[in-house]
Amino acid sequence: MSEEKKVKVHVDKVNKSYGDNHVLRDISLDVMDNEVVVMIGPSGSGKSTFLRMLNLLEKPDSGVIDVDGHDILDPKTNINKVRENIGMVFQNFNLFNNYTVLENITLAPVQLGKMTKAEAEEKAKELLETVGLPDKANVSVNSLSGGQKQRVAIARALAMNPDIMLFDEPTSALDPEMVGDVLEVMKRLAKTGMTMVIVTHEMGFAKQVANRVVFFESGKIQESGTPEQIFTAPKNERLQTFLSKVMHA
Amino acid sequence: MVTKRYKPLLAVMVAFVLAIFMAGTRADAAQKPNYIISTDAAYAPFDFQDKNNQYVGIDMDILKEVAKRNNFTYTLKPMSFNAAAQMVANGQADGIIAGMMINDARKQVYDVSDPYYQSGVAWITKPNSKIKSLSDLKGKTVALKTGTAAANYGASLKDKYGFKVKYFNDTDTMYNDVVNGNTAATFEDYPVIQYAIKNGMKLEVRNPKDLGNGGGVGFFVKKGENALLLQQFNTTLAEMKKDGTYDKIIDKYLNSSQKTFVGEASDNNSMWGILKSNKSAFWKGLVETTKLTVTGIILASLWGLLLGLMGTAQSKFWRGLSTTIIYAFRGLPLMVLAFFIYIGLPGVIGMKIPAFTAGLLTLILNEGAYTGAFVRGGFDSVNVGQMEAARSLGLSHRQAMWKVIVPQGLKMTVPSFVNQFIITLKDTSILSAIGILELTQTGTLIVARNSQGFRVWGIIAIIYLVVITLLTWFSNWVEKKIN
Ligand SMILES: Nc1ncnc2c1ncn2[C@@H]1O[C@H](COP(=O)(O)OP(=O)(O)O)[C@@H](O)[C@H]1O
Ligand SMILES: [Mg+2]
Repeated sequence: MSEEKKVKVHVDKVNKSYGDNHVLRDISLDVMDNEVVVMIGPSGSGKSTFLRMLNLLEKPDSGVIDVDGHDILDPKTNINKVRENIGMVFQNFNLFNNYTVLENITLAPVQLGKMTKAEAEEKAKELLETVGLPDKANVSVNSLSGGQKQRVAIARALAMNPDIMLFDEPTSALDPEMVGDVLEVMKRLAKTGMTMVIVTHEMGFAKQVANRVVFFESGKIQESGTPEQIFTAPKNERLQTFLSKVMHA
Repeated sequence: MVTKRYKPLLAVMVAFVLAIFMAGTRADAAQKPNYIISTDAAYAPFDFQDKNNQYVGIDMDILKEVAKRNNFTYTLKPMSFNAAAQMVANGQADGIIAGMMINDARKQVYDVSDPYYQSGVAWITKPNSKIKSLSDLKGKTVALKTGTAAANYGASLKDKYGFKVKYFNDTDTMYNDVVNGNTAATFEDYPVIQYAIKNGMKLEVRNPKDLGNGGGVGFFVKKGENALLLQQFNTTLAEMKKDGTYDKIIDKYLNSSQKTFVGEASDNNSMWGILKSNKSAFWKGLVETTKLTVTGIILASLWGLLLGLMGTAQSKFWRGLSTTIIYAFRGLPLMVLAFFIYIGLPGVIGMKIPAFTAGLLTLILNEGAYTGAFVRGGFDSVNVGQMEAARSLGLSHRQAMWKVIVPQGLKMTVPSFVNQFIITLKDTSILSAIGILELTQTGTLIVARNSQGFRVWGIIAIIYLVVITLLTWFSNWVEKKIN
């Protein structure tokens, strides 16, 4: 990576507790423009909480979070504006049940005045093409399989033309045969230079697309590095234990 | 942030409420003094509706004569007896004439006229019954109507004379129980049973010369107020007794043919006859019930929707307010709320509220609270992921609510809405208590006149069922459209 790369997301010493449960402990992390960061770690280690903090679905108790130069913890920051540039994909898709596939994708751009309805629909059709679902525009979301739903959810996030995409275990709720399609879409997205922060248990995928892998455990980043460093020469003992479990599972 | 969007709706509601309050305060421009007189809507022979649905009775004729001779006008407020008495005690009405017995407790609260009729509790059997004295009732069963003074009197003699009691909710059923020989006797206010007997009830009073708890019946005003009105009443009553007007009035109600008031017998002994001779009354009652139901449903739904939205607002204040309002108005019995608004509230805000307005407000607040609770529940039951997905795209809370949460939440509540509509229709009948002349009150008045409880209530029940069926069909049609 070249020196003049821009910092897209800057996180400094964030802390978060749910009651007595100290979920995030002094976490700092920078994500560069065009970088793909993959977060791994055991369940309950705080990965989702951290990811959801980046678009303020979860509020930290202390620390600094800067996205694209906006201090999102400053009450004066219009968080809705910032969120327009951060796409998010959820484990359970969260497609809007009261709309068709096309309406799911066009809702936000039209509501937020980014595009006219016609423009949004054209864009939606293009996106459906890229995620491999060109013929699903007018069906109800409930008629889709899990893999199809997740690809629509990715298209919905992309419709806002975000420059950062957050993924929280996007394939964990899918039948194994559906996982490949979704990962394929994400790989292509990474190739376009999208800045991505991904929580996943797909280690093969992580090796392939990540510029950096971050290992979470007990609310702390225990180790981070290139995929080679993390997967072939892990230093942290807990990372070693974790990898031995997930690789042989 | 959220509240901005709801403000116009709130403004409309407030404007509406103000408008209906205003409607109750239209000033009367007449120069003659106008008194508000409350009365019992159904207490023959003192107060009841005749076959033309005009309020008539001993009280009505005396009142009319007093007004005429003293050159004042009056607005009559017929309703349930307790509500009517309360209105005077609270200063919302100037006087009450309702076959009301004079006693010491009432003298604490009201100033009372000279008695214009002697009343008391009679005990009654079938004609030519072997039971000649109260002692003959030993071991027998006596029919009493729940919650009346006559019943209390009857029950107080139970142990002394060794009889059993059986309670009824409906006067007519109670009389017929004695006529049919199921129970041996009953207790009733003397003028009331006199009138029923005049109207063909096959019963006989055993103690006309020796009434229990006997005493006078008077006209009451609030203590310390309307002294002039009271004095005019007494003076005119004395004159009427002298010039024969009084006797004519009593005679008219207690010694003339029953047909005068209740219509031909043929009009009263079949459902069809009753329906025909009272068709305009039934129709008016139905229209009033429909008006209450439809406006009640629309406004309660809007209010409930607003409460539901408030309950899912981001601000703690609005959520708390919604919870409090729902809690308070769901907890209050509908009738208490109706009395509070109709009888209690005017004293505080210093203006009178028309019965229909009070009834409508009652429906809005009560049904609206239930609606608010299930609407809020509907919104809450939409998966949180839907909100998070909407917000993560940059939609505001308000946009997310309107575009994503509300449509899904409302769809889930459609069956609850249908249910609430039907409950609202049924609840309008409770508003008969504040004298709104809807279907139930219409039934009460017709029965008070013709004593045909079974047939009249049968007709009323059928009308309700028809309306409920229509409402259900309509709701199902709407439900289908939505899905
Ligand atoms: N809304 C919440 N309320 C209370 N505890 C929570 C909440 N969300 C997450 N937690 C707790 O925070 C910890 C981290 O959760 P999470 O970030 O979901 O972990 P991961 O995504 O790594 O599995 C867990 O112990 C979890 O139980
Ligand atoms: Mg998680």
